[in-house]
Amino acid sequence: MRSKRLTILSAALIMLLSACGRENSASVIIAGSTSVHPYAELLAEEYYRLPHGMMVDVQGGGSSAGIMQVENGIADIGMSSRSLKENEQHLWQIEIAKDGLAIILHPSNSVDNLTKDQIRGIYAAEITNWSQVGGADKAIHIIAREDGSGTRSAFEELVMAGSRITPRAIIQSSNGAVRQLVSGNPSSIGFISLGMVDEGEKPVKAIAIEGAAATAENVANGSYGLFRSFLFVTKAEPEGSVKEFIDYVLSPDGQRHLLHEGLIGGAAG
Amino acid sequence: MDAKIKTQSLNLFYGDFHALGDITFDIPAHAITAIIGPSGCGKSTLLRVFNRMNDLIPICRVEGEVFLNGEPVNRADTDVVALRQKVGMVFQKPNVFPMSIYDNIVMGPRHQGVKNKGKLMEIVERSLRQVAMWDEVKDMLKKPGQSIATGQQQRLCIARALAVEPEVLLMDESCSALDPESTMKIEELMVELAQKHTIITVTHNMEQAARVSDMSAFMMIDEHHVGRLHEYSKTDEMFLNPRDKLTEDYITGRFG
Amino acid sequence: MRKFKENLSGRIFFILALSSISALALITVFIFIKGVPFIAEVGLFNFLFGSSWAPDHGEYGILPMIAGTFIVTFGAALIGIPIALCCAVFLAEIAPAWLRNLFRPAIQLLAGIPSVVYGFWGLVFIVPFIMNHFGGPGVGILAASIILGIMILPTVISISEVSILALPRQYKEGALALGLTHWQTIRSVILPSAKSGIVAAVILGIGRAVGETMAVIMIVGNAPAMPRSILDPVRTLTTNIGLEMNYASGLHEKALFATGIVLFIIIMILNASAQYFTRKRSF
Repeated sequence: MRSKRLTILSAALIMLLSACGRENSASVIIAGSTSVHPYAELLAEEYYRLPHGMMVDVQGGGSSAGIMQVENGIADIGMSSRSLKENEQHLWQIEIAKDGLAIILHPSNSVDNLTKDQIRGIYAAEITNWSQVGGADKAIHIIAREDGSGTRSAFEELVMAGSRITPRAIIQSSNGAVRQLVSGNPSSIGFISLGMVDEGEKPVKAIAIEGAAATAENVANGSYGLFRSFLFVTKAEPEGSVKEFIDYVLSPDGQRHLLHEGLIGGAAG
Repeated sequence: MDAKIKTQSLNLFYGDFHALGDITFDIPAHAITAIIGPSGCGKSTLLRVFNRMNDLIPICRVEGEVFLNGEPVNRADTDVVALRQKVGMVFQKPNVFPMSIYDNIVMGPRHQGVKNKGKLMEIVERSLRQVAMWDEVKDMLKKPGQSIATGQQQRLCIARALAVEPEVLLMDESCSALDPESTMKIEELMVELAQKHTIITVTHNMEQAARVSDMSAFMMIDEHHVGRLHEYSKTDEMFLNPRDKLTEDYITGRFG
Repeated sequence: MRKFKENLSGRIFFILALSSISALALITVFIFIKGVPFIAEVGLFNFLFGSSWAPDHGEYGILPMIAGTFIVTFGAALIGIPIALCCAVFLAEIAPAWLRNLFRPAIQLLAGIPSVVYGFWGLVFIVPFIMNHFGGPGVGILAASIILGIMILPTVISISEVSILALPRQYKEGALALGLTHWQTIRSVILPSAKSGIVAAVILGIGRAVGETMAVIMIVGNAPAMPRSILDPVRTLTTNIGLEMNYASGLHEKALFATGIVLFIIIMILNASAQYFTRKRSF
């Protein structure tokens, strides 16, 4: 009888142990937008080189994933490339930079310039052939991001104006993956972070929107209308090592790195 | 009696091992020839020469001549498939295929080109009647062949072999796995079949050999472990008047 | 003292075995607890037969994903199973020993390749190939079926081969002794006799295809819409969960668990059929 109880107790203990959570480590954990990811990584590297710098761990997963992880306490800082939704407004946020949203095509595509409405029509599957917008007679292959992507939300806000992106769009789950597909498919169209346009083996072409070329200057002077804020989000007002890192990102030093990479200055810059 | 099967200086090797040595004898048509001898002397190996089943063993090499109806069958260009249709085999344990009784029996004829359902049914009935099983199973031809008793399964195997109408039937200790009653039925069958077919049977059972066979071939291994044909004569003579002490000792059960 | 040690080892084994089953129990209970309330709220019919999946707009129909899973799996079976069976027959009946010793480790190696590597290879090699030679964007049903067809080969080949090798030699001898050629023996006796093992192999291969996620996510296109051709991008039940689980919350998250329930039921049915066929041996 006693040994039977002992057996059951041990079994329960094993099950309990398997349900235990993680332990805290000293470094700062950042997760979220794949658009912000490369810049956050760069900043983390630079930060680590400073005399008092500590380890900052940067992960991807998409804007919504990052925000969720901040809510759950899994990540200290969430990266977002879209604005916060209503039910997220209780979180603390700061804009660290502005980023252009590039509409990319394969370099062989003869189309160089589109209006916002044309892009909307393409993504809503109202325009289905390149010939309808001045290109070759080929079906348009639409590439979009997953629902939780900040880039997708930004795109929907800036371009779609209430229309839905067609469910027939091919979905890829990062900027890099979208870019890679577009670079190999002459009939495709996709949207990525402006800073990512030149990051990759094969080239892609970022088209002009209503006459304005896709450059950081044009975003800064307002002629290129597609841009969004990169946000750092925390559960509550940041303190300690988290605050120190955010202060660094907003400092002239941190901002200089971001500007160097093609972003536009954030709330403090 | 004319020779149905004839061997001439037959030698068989498994790689370097000399298994059968210089075997020369004639097997008469329409008779039962028993091959007897102690375990391991090569009886089954010899039997399998007649339908080239040893070809399945890559290291097996057969030298010498084997004739069926006067035609050589141990050549490289022999049509082994045609040979096996003329020389059928029943194995030690029943090896009924995992399919219906009907499908078992028509397996051979189907692959000989018989497609007509009526013709196939005729063959099934004829074969089952030959083994005296038709009345027993005629209403359950679609039942799995493996669902019937072991003794019946062996008779089914015989029926299956007979369905392709072979001239010779090789029986490799076909009764050793059966009960006495089934054994008796099959012995009666053998005698009946011998009227139209040539039967060669390997057996351990002295009484059986004495009962049913017309000719007996007694095999023994020599001092080099080569299997040889020690004595070959009419069964009655061999059992009443064995030529050799060795033969006498074996027949009377002193060894083997 | 010996009796105590015997008892103790028995109990330790029992506890360890229990902990592996406890994982299964935990997962099962979890997905049902999270998924069933969702189905109750949204309605089973709307869930299974709704053709629009748009969680942001409150739409949770997984019909396109069910179709995606079925079509992609069917394609994988069409491509992989004939090749696997020919391979199994070749290995069991035809190949000389030295060739067998070359092939078998190669097939095992195929099984050891991580699925992300399959997906990557598919993206870099198969997708452009399809785009350039068949048209369409390259990602889609055809690409996924090809990759999955290759991925299920080791499973189907090894179980089929074992089933053939497990047959008593006497069947083959009996067939040859009747005057059948080797090919006729394979076709008319060996394969039908190994039928139940082969069917089990096929079902397990299909189960593998249904459950594969990583390789498929990279090359199937992930468009949650009913496909119109094999060159169309499509989404499967597994890739739906894989894509969205990182950020889903609330009802959306529960919907993904409900998708998990659907997958669970499909796999249970497949496993049960495989068990049924292996038990139903015809020896």
